[in-house]
Amino acid sequence: MSVALTLLMLAAGAYLVAVLEGWISTGRLSAAGPITGGLALLGRESLVPRKPDRIFFEVAPPLLLVSAVLAFAVLPISPNLIVADLATGALFVNAALAYVMVALVMAGWGPDGVYAMVGGWRFLGQLIAYSMLIVMPITAVAMRAESLVTTDVVVSQAALPNALYQPVGFLVFVAAAMAVCFLPPLDLPNAPGELAGGVEAEYTGWRLAVFRLARLLLVVTLAAAITVFYLGGWSGPLLPPWAWSAAKALLVAAAMLMVGRYVPRLGEADFLQWCWKLGIPLALFNIFYVGVLLLVLP
Amino acid sequence: MITLVVALAVGAALFGIGLYGALSQTNLVMIMMGVEVMLGGAMVNLVAFWRFLHPEVFSGQMFVLVVMTVMALEMAVGFGIGTSRFRSVGSVEMEEARELKG
Amino acid sequence: MTVQTVLQTFFLAFFGLAAIWFAVVVFRTSSMVRSALALLFSQTAIGAMFLAMQAEFLGVLQIMMMATEMAIMAIFMVMYMMDPGGLGEMDMTHQKRLSQVAGVVGAVAALVVAFFAGWGPVAGSAPGAFEQTRLLGLEIMERSMLIFETAGVTILTAMIAATATAIAVREVRKRGEGE
Repeated sequence: MSVALTLLMLAAGAYLVAVLEGWISTGRLSAAGPITGGLALLGRESLVPRKPDRIFFEVAPPLLLVSAVLAFAVLPISPNLIVADLATGALFVNAALAYVMVALVMAGWGPDGVYAMVGGWRFLGQLIAYSMLIVMPITAVAMRAESLVTTDVVVSQAALPNALYQPVGFLVFVAAAMAVCFLPPLDLPNAPGELAGGVEAEYTGWRLAVFRLARLLLVVTLAAAITVFYLGGWSGPLLPPWAWSAAKALLVAAAMLMVGRYVPRLGEADFLQWCWKLGIPLALFNIFYVGVLLLVLP
Repeated sequence: MITLVVALAVGAALFGIGLYGALSQTNLVMIMMGVEVMLGGAMVNLVAFWRFLHPEVFSGQMFVLVVMTVMALEMAVGFGIGTSRFRSVGSVEMEEARELKG
Repeated sequence: MTVQTVLQTFFLAFFGLAAIWFAVVVFRTSSMVRSALALLFSQTAIGAMFLAMQAEFLGVLQIMMMATEMAIMAIFMVMYMMDPGGLGEMDMTHQKRLSQVAGVVGAVAALVVAFFAGWGPVAGSAPGAFEQTRLLGLEIMERSMLIFETAGVTILTAMIAATATAIAVREVRKRGEGE
């Protein structure tokens, strides 16, 4: 029962983020936009490139979908609404998100096309940049919660949400989260202008629909992860817990989507420099800072 | 008992496959993949011994962490050496690496 | 044989066969990227075996680390190998007979030990997952602190060594041109 409810909330979140993304990028709010767009994609002809690596070509979109759903499965929406309450929940989010990269490498190599391959390998460069930055802030969060269980992480923020307790880690994690779900300005894998769609270029028809749906789910999952780890999850005064979780996650997703409109695209070479020269020292400082705060404050 | 033997059998098979790969491949990257498979088999055995013989002693899990670390490090240094060799010679085929052969 | 042991044996056998099958694919396929990703899925199956043996932290760690490592291995294969797509059907092996014999001997020796050694009493249950993470942390911080510190220093050494090896050639060339 709770599994179905959580997945329903995930689907609803994905729908709302799709409407938001359409609104932000076109300026017109169309509530039925995702449905018409999805049906149009399903109705279109499904082309397969000339000599694809069949296994990779077919497996990549479902793998992206599965990894996004698995990462969402360990995040609590309310105190008793979680699909799988793993003992190492905070680490499992990272394990599931690592398969985003596997899926994109497959999607890059599979279609036997130049733009797709360049997009896929560029995402690998982005991965080397963001992979440290997405784990280290979670370490600091787990330090405060004294547990890897995601429910404990939310409970530990009852006094003060982590965004205010460890602001450096919050900013680093948000940047890394935008890199994971390849939102603009870090959308090199499927750059619409530069790489003619990049990883998505060779997918058409229902496979493209699965790919786009997977990406939306990934955005929702990462927004939910930011909410759980940094914004206090379900805590809030008046509304029921799940409403607070949903509201916070949607707000985070909207903020992440809006940033993309105002910042130019960041190539993976620059992103690598920024992450390794600035991001990792900041993340290490964050861990040290949280450690000092935890040991010194009563 | 059966479960332990099943896990150890899987570890043994992985070790054999990894050994075949490490000895038969000519390319540095493929040899490293053989070593990775061997280490994976060793880790399966370690966790099986921990779980079925001594689940209260956690140094078994510590050993697995050390093996995982060694896997990552061996790959890193191996690829550093491979990069250096590729730059100087143009390939990483181990059949051509006979400069030190007496 | 309780239901739990039967389930555990079944999952161990299933994921073990998956790991072995993917490991065989690694060396039989001629496409390099398929080889690297088959190794990835083999290691993921090993991670799933850890989860089946109730070592939750190790399983999740294995799945996470190996995904990243093997994808990086994939790009190195594309960079350094002659035929990454595998369409040329080259045979890149040497001393095939020796390595087959060595592999079989190694596997059979380990199997013989596994079947015929007296392993003693088999423990019934492991600590719960929540307890395990805590106990593992305590083990790292108390008894195995020296090992952990050594591992940390080793990681640092390996990082410096790998970086120095990978960039060494440029420095030598620059010094040569400066003379």
